[in-house]
Amino acid sequence: MSASVAAAPAARAFRGIGRDRWGLLGLVIVTIFFLLAAGVWLGWLGQDWARAVGGRWEPAGTEHWFGTNLLGQDIFQRAVYSARTAFEIGLVVALATTVLGAAFGALAGWRAFSWVDDVALWVKGVLDSVPFYLFVAALAYAMQGRAFAMHIAMILTFWTPTARLLRAEVMRLKAQDFVKSAQAIGLPAWRIVLRHVLPNTVHILLVQGTLVFVAAIKTEVILSFLGLGVQDGVSWGLMLAESTQEVIAGHFGNFLAASGFLFTFLLGLNLLSDALQDALDPTMTRRRGRMIKAPA
Amino acid sequence: MFYFLRKIGNSLLLIIGVTLLSFVLMVWFGPDRTFGLLGKNPSQEQIEQVRRQLGYDRPFAERYLDYLGALATLELGYSDSSGEAVRAVLARTIPVTLALVLPGFLLGNLLAIVLAMLAAWHRGRALDRVITGLSVAGMSLSFLVIIIGLQALLCTPYGVNLFPVRGWQVDGFGSYFYYAFVPTLSLVIVSLGYNTRFYRAVFVEEAQREHIRTARAFGASPLTIMTRHVLANSMAPLITRVLFSIPLVIVSGSLLIETYFGIPGVGRTTFEAITNGDQPVLKAVVALTAVSFVVVQLLADFLYRLFDPRIEQAVADGGGAAV
Repeated sequence: MSASVAAAPAARAFRGIGRDRWGLLGLVIVTIFFLLAAGVWLGWLGQDWARAVGGRWEPAGTEHWFGTNLLGQDIFQRAVYSARTAFEIGLVVALATTVLGAAFGALAGWRAFSWVDDVALWVKGVLDSVPFYLFVAALAYAMQGRAFAMHIAMILTFWTPTARLLRAEVMRLKAQDFVKSAQAIGLPAWRIVLRHVLPNTVHILLVQGTLVFVAAIKTEVILSFLGLGVQDGVSWGLMLAESTQEVIAGHFGNFLAASGFLFTFLLGLNLLSDALQDALDPTMTRRRGRMIKAPA
Repeated sequence: MFYFLRKIGNSLLLIIGVTLLSFVLMVWFGPDRTFGLLGKNPSQEQIEQVRRQLGYDRPFAERYLDYLGALATLELGYSDSSGEAVRAVLARTIPVTLALVLPGFLLGNLLAIVLAMLAAWHRGRALDRVITGLSVAGMSLSFLVIIIGLQALLCTPYGVNLFPVRGWQVDGFGSYFYYAFVPTLSLVIVSLGYNTRFYRAVFVEEAQREHIRTARAFGASPLTIMTRHVLANSMAPLITRVLFSIPLVIVSGSLLIETYFGIPGVGRTTFEAITNGDQPVLKAVVALTAVSFVVVQLLADFLYRLFDPRIEQAVADGGGAAV
């Protein structure tokens, strides 16, 4: 029974996106980037990202599609390899914040106005009151520049909008008859929440997940520029950071490649997220607008 | 009355939370500063003395209370890297940041409100689709991409080369315009997409209500309807949005923009404190911005009540969700 409840939003999502031209475009873009990331991960694509294969700042051409950088590395290879970095960051942060947001939100919503709810609200309020980049700075300072400070900071702060939405939805569902029936036949609360309430919030979690994915990738760019982000490897953020000096000198390869990849991927994710929102919950979509703290 | 007391109590709890968080992260778990402050080959007594000065030999609660006291009296100590009083650093840099960021912040919101009204009035038609489409495109642009792109277009010989690549030598309106133009434009562009979309959603919802239909039936002009009826009734979500984007745009925005354009405001000071591990500056900035944000939220709550006594419920369950 719970399987069919969980499957319904997915089926609705696919039907909805099939009818939505822009959503379909988003799905195609995200799929292409996923294939790129999978290709890198399997070792088929972008493996030469760290090797010097040409001279310094070679112009774009058939051999190096976006030219080479200061160290003679092929910029196109680096941009392709960065798709993997983006997926890793986006997926890790989106999954972790979804779990945290669902747990806190369900707990607070199920026991609304109890002390559990008060504590959850207080934690959210505290995290929302510290400006994000300062929080990362404080965390990076405390962690002495360890590699995962960026991930941890994003996970610790990005779950609050999800939890807030889920709290309201769980409160609404708890008042409905199917939950009351489950309580009446004596099912334990954890079982009702896990099997009957949470599966009915999948649409919120899915949409919020895509929004967090976008936020995480955009945040990585800025943190990498500030020196608080990706420590080794390569990402679009690091390429853009590299390009800040080159643009003034007239070398646009890094900038064009990184911003082109980044913009296309983010556009795809945004279109997909919109289409999901329209397909899964048309009443919520335009009413509240987006509920994510979008980093600049 | 009870409502106000409860709100003030909540804010105090939040202030305890944010100060505790910054204390634990930066002071309690933060790196040991002893040897950074000592010369070469310190004697055991010197080490003991510095550790006593830094309070490393005292218990958690005592040190946290000291920290709260220092924040309350604004006795923020001295910068590790320059030796300047942190209070003086803040007094010097905060006005620069406000002058840099406020115009972009206000324009980003005002332009978005105008565009959102146009889109909401022409809902579903071509103009609406163009505006919402451009918003999504704007939301897909990274702040860094906008800044680098604008710099290449406006500040280098590869574009029109009208503005400085970086710097801040302001001594009048002309030079202010010269140095602030490109940063302001980047701030407007980065916030315009998200803002327009949000305000459009608010206006569309409001425009569907029956009193709007009545106003149209009475022949009120589009401008009157959108400003007098739709905008006036959307003030609560608007204020929430603006307030909650303050830490985002002003603090985070200044961090990136000032670092990039080499402007001596709070953002660049903070960035330098991060890279140098300058704890006195960093903990002052983090704690003070968080505390002032809590205070702003409290004031906003009271403002809502002044604006509209019906608001209690809406703010109680959705106050923070709009960002």
